[in-house]
Amino acid sequence: MKTQTYTLNFGPQHPSTHGVLHVVLELDGEICVGSKTQIGYLHRGIEKLVEDRTYPQVIPYTDRLDYLSGMSNNLVYVQTIEKLMGIEVPERAEYIRVLLAELMRIASHMVGIGIYIMDLGAVSAVFYPFIEREKILELMSHISGGRMTFNYMRIGGVAYDLHPDFYPELDNFINEFPRFIEEYHKLVDDNEIFKARTKNIGVISAEKAMSYGLTGPNLRASGVDYDLRKISPYSVYDRFDFETAVGKNGDCYDRYVVRMKEVEESFKIIKQAYKEMPEGPVMAKVPKLIKPPVGDAYHQAENPKGILGCYVVSDGSPKPYRVHFRRPSFNNISIYDELFIGHKIADIVAILASFDIVLGEIDA
Amino acid sequence: MYGKGILKGLSVTGRNVFRKRLTEKYPEVKPKLAERWRGSFQLDVNECIACGLCEKSCPNSAIKLTTEKTEDNKKRLSSYKLDRSYCLFCGLCVESCPKKCLRFTKEFETAVYNKDEVVLDLFNNQNLSAPTSSYAQPEKTGVTAGKEE
Repeated sequence: MKTQTYTLNFGPQHPSTHGVLHVVLELDGEICVGSKTQIGYLHRGIEKLVEDRTYPQVIPYTDRLDYLSGMSNNLVYVQTIEKLMGIEVPERAEYIRVLLAELMRIASHMVGIGIYIMDLGAVSAVFYPFIEREKILELMSHISGGRMTFNYMRIGGVAYDLHPDFYPELDNFINEFPRFIEEYHKLVDDNEIFKARTKNIGVISAEKAMSYGLTGPNLRASGVDYDLRKISPYSVYDRFDFETAVGKNGDCYDRYVVRMKEVEESFKIIKQAYKEMPEGPVMAKVPKLIKPPVGDAYHQAENPKGILGCYVVSDGSPKPYRVHFRRPSFNNISIYDELFIGHKIADIVAILASFDIVLGEIDA
Repeated sequence: MYGKGILKGLSVTGRNVFRKRLTEKYPEVKPKLAERWRGSFQLDVNECIACGLCEKSCPNSAIKLTTEKTEDNKKRLSSYKLDRSYCLFCGLCVESCPKKCLRFTKEFETAVYNKDEVVLDLFNNQNLSAPTSSYAQPEKTGVTAGKEE
């Protein structure tokens, strides 16, 4: 019998593409034989826009890169400028930053895990993590006034001290979170349908993961123990006791396991940072008009999705000459075209979701 | 046994059926917003010294203000327009205000029927009756007093 392959446009308006990712699939029946990922539907030109903004005015734009973890993006940008200018950040501000970055990691992974399992058809599994995420967003709104676009960190510290309402809610969160994790493990871990859909699907070997420049949980799921918080600790990460979550097989199931483990480790850091938080100022002495010296700086940090790098070139004026972001999701999806081949359409949805991509970051 | 994992998961779901509802009945019950909520804006025109710092600090130039000279050669505000369609609600203008007369309010239902209403004319409508947010305002009590030992 004579058959032929056909082309299927997956996205950009398909709910399983996590936004506006467009994948042109070449299909033989249900099996993928060729794939081309197309991006750019959410391109806002942030890197160009910020060239016309002063240094502090860039901070609200970084919130909009990976909009599920605005606080972590703030952190990378302000630390780059601090590196460029040689600013010492007060102790308390560093602890607040770490506390919030880890809370943000939990919030981001809660969406990542929840939507991932929802895409596989288990709709109720999305609501449990969203309850916890909601608590974190409430916490964030107490200190910054916003739920997703925080604009809270400043060059030289953080905008204000924590709000008095923040402490009882954080206590509450710390009390209730372990019970949730236990419950969620029970709900998903051993589920036969979930296992059948994810085990040995989208397997990435360690070598391949490294050669494609994957970072974050997607790299660690392949068994590469690479976490910037351990390897080159920034801020005050060297003072906390935590482990990095590493997977074995690099399949979709491991990517779920690594994220869940990472959430638990983040929770450990939160408890330690909250307990050891010193008193004191939250802002260093920085000039009113921020004019870094001529030069450039690169800084990178372990964001929920992977390594977010920020490169800033200064020409000595109050506006940056060039800002570039190394966005983890953008590098992570480079493996898609190769990974999709040989999988069925339903598995492609599973692979896509297991990467936990954010289009705001890919297109910038 | 095959299906054990599913039954385990279902027991979690079953227990949650009898838990307290977590959702809010929004239009009937209004949410309790954070003290520092960044909603809409209000401007105390009498306090304003027309320094223009808010205009300069805005990343998107959403604020347009004009000034005039009074008889005793003092600067005074003559118009103040804030275009919310360009606004990022980042709060840099509120932070930069030296007199703390530009403030956030806790209004969050800011949808309007006409496009013209998106632009706030804070000179003619100061919006002072709206609940004020404490964002970037001097805290009434000690800032670090909240931490329980």
